[in-house]
Amino acid sequence: MKKITSFVLLVLVSSMVLSGITNTVQAQNDPSILLKIAKQAQEQLQNQINQNSSDTIKLLFKNGTQQVIALENSLENNKTDLAKEHFLSAMKIFKQVSQQLTYQTSKPESLSNKTTIQDPSSDLLRIQDYSNNLKAIAKKYNTLIDFSELDALFITAKNQVTDNQFDEAQQTITKIKQMIVDLNKNIREQSSPHQQSRAKEYAQTYIEQLDRLIENAKNQKLSEDIIKRLETARENLSLATDPHEIIKQIREIISIKTQFDLTKNDRLESRVIQVEKTLLNLSNSGQLNQTDIEDAKITLQTIKRLLSQGEVDMANELLRSLATLLD
Amino acid sequence: MNPEIVPIHRKETIQQDGMLFVRSEGILKTMIKAPLIIAGLIFVSLVIPIQTSFSSSRTLNLVIYSDGSVHVSNQIDIDPLLPDYELELFGSSIDNFVAVGDTGFLLSDEIIENKATIDTFGSSSIKIDYDIHDLVSKDGRVWTFSINSTSDYTVLMPANTVIVGMSILPNSMELVNDQTIFDLKNGTSEINYIYGTTINPTTPNDSSFDYITTVIIGATVIAGALSALFIIKRKQSKSIPSIIQTELIPEKQIKIKSFDTESIFVLRPEMREDDKEIIRFISKNGGQAFESELRKKFLQPRTTMWRAVKRLERLGVIEIDKKDMQNLVKLKKVMEEEE
Repeated sequence: MKKITSFVLLVLVSSMVLSGITNTVQAQNDPSILLKIAKQAQEQLQNQINQNSSDTIKLLFKNGTQQVIALENSLENNKTDLAKEHFLSAMKIFKQVSQQLTYQTSKPESLSNKTTIQDPSSDLLRIQDYSNNLKAIAKKYNTLIDFSELDALFITAKNQVTDNQFDEAQQTITKIKQMIVDLNKNIREQSSPHQQSRAKEYAQTYIEQLDRLIENAKNQKLSEDIIKRLETARENLSLATDPHEIIKQIREIISIKTQFDLTKNDRLESRVIQVEKTLLNLSNSGQLNQTDIEDAKITLQTIKRLLSQGEVDMANELLRSLATLLD
Repeated sequence: MNPEIVPIHRKETIQQDGMLFVRSEGILKTMIKAPLIIAGLIFVSLVIPIQTSFSSSRTLNLVIYSDGSVHVSNQIDIDPLLPDYELELFGSSIDNFVAVGDTGFLLSDEIIENKATIDTFGSSSIKIDYDIHDLVSKDGRVWTFSINSTSDYTVLMPANTVIVGMSILPNSMELVNDQTIFDLKNGTSEINYIYGTTINPTTPNDSSFDYITTVIIGATVIAGALSALFIIKRKQSKSIPSIIQTELIPEKQIKIKSFDTESIFVLRPEMREDDKEIIRFISKNGGQAFESELRKKFLQPRTTMWRAVKRLERLGVIEIDKKDMQNLVKLKKVMEEEE
């Protein structure tokens, strides 16, 4: 018995450890990258160091270069851990060199910085991405929002940036931003009814889950008080129509469940919802044949029934098999 | 505390001496407990993948723009049973926040400081996009990107930048159109970079491309100049006002040159009214003021004032210096010189 126990435990622990190792292997560094980055930094700084550079800078750079050489040697000898250490040391030194060089050549550099700050390209790119996000959402809601004026302004701003007319571009960007604020407001207004119906759908799903919990509580002969509180909460949730009210009622239910330690099935319930969604997506996309879909639906019903009967382990097993099948 | 545990430890210690003590009580307990432990472990091993699938970042991608702002794009798996989801953002200086559910529909959100509460209503995954101004700082020419992420992520560096410092080991690196993409592990990391002012070694292909580009640009400029000349010649006789207008622009620029606040407001029409008050105060205060002074003057909490100062910095109106460990906010002299 003891041997069997030890063996089973060993297998379990090994499987857990092995699954951990798999992740580490996936995240393993490619050592040649380190040399590439370090050499780029070295070359860049070498170009900037001149005769007027201070002795401290020169000494630091020399140390950094030595670390790069050591990094290269470590890689050639397959000493990856050592290579990593040399990389981090080299990059730390090169950072110091860059900072020292900055203080040495602050005057001419400030001019180039000024150009970077004044060029509104980044701002333009940011709002372009944001606007694309809003467009995708507007399309999803089938809104009739006209983006042509906004698109025209983006083209104008881009041209102005290309022509180095940064002040003009900034003014156009200000107009774009204002327009985006209005569009955002418009989209949110139009999406409001959708949000309400989604909130109601969600409340309905939650009520189904709550029904299973109440049935399970009754089967397990939990106190009348707990069952009554759950039933009252269910009633309140079914009456709620406003999204904020729905959130409030669900928070109340969660609080009751936590108070009476009734949350142990929540993970499985969440997983049931996820599997249900996957099934819906698959049946919509036509990737599964009708027989498989029907079988999966029957299995889901069985899982839900098992959950209401408190047969957690069996429900879990079935759910896992179904999830694997759908994946 | 538990007397039943003590004999097991004692037994192990004795085993090291090569002796075996058998206690019927211990065996009985071990035999009863073993199946329970195994069942528990099986349950844990089965449940672990389910647990980890909720509230975890599936993907996290960051894009650093040339002005130091960062775009964050985050796909997160969440518990579909919860009505909302609270997300900790990477900072409090947030712009352009959008959250969409697994069906691509917009989710409503509320952002307070660096926390966003999103009404998820049964979504099992959400996608969040926002811009943030807290992740990159600048010291002279050296830009520093620093982050503490709980999940692995990718970072797209700005074009023409060279990495000159790195506190972490990247998983991978890729070069796409002069931009480096790093794949990094979770945890605290710092990347220092500079814009490549000196010329990187160029390949012959690059130079030939530059030559062709130069020829094309040159031809376009010449064509543009010729057409401009043609248009000017045609309009010269009837459109004298346009000449006046071109002469007016330098006058406007001269106005901006003067260091009065109204010129700044003209230059930055998008500036908020409360921010204008701050600018007026700094101007009256000789062009600079400590952030703490601004807080006292406007009776604002630390974060609110910090945000306002950051906003003004982004507008290019002020610059922030460190003096005696404090933030010294200065009206930018660069504005005088630029125009």
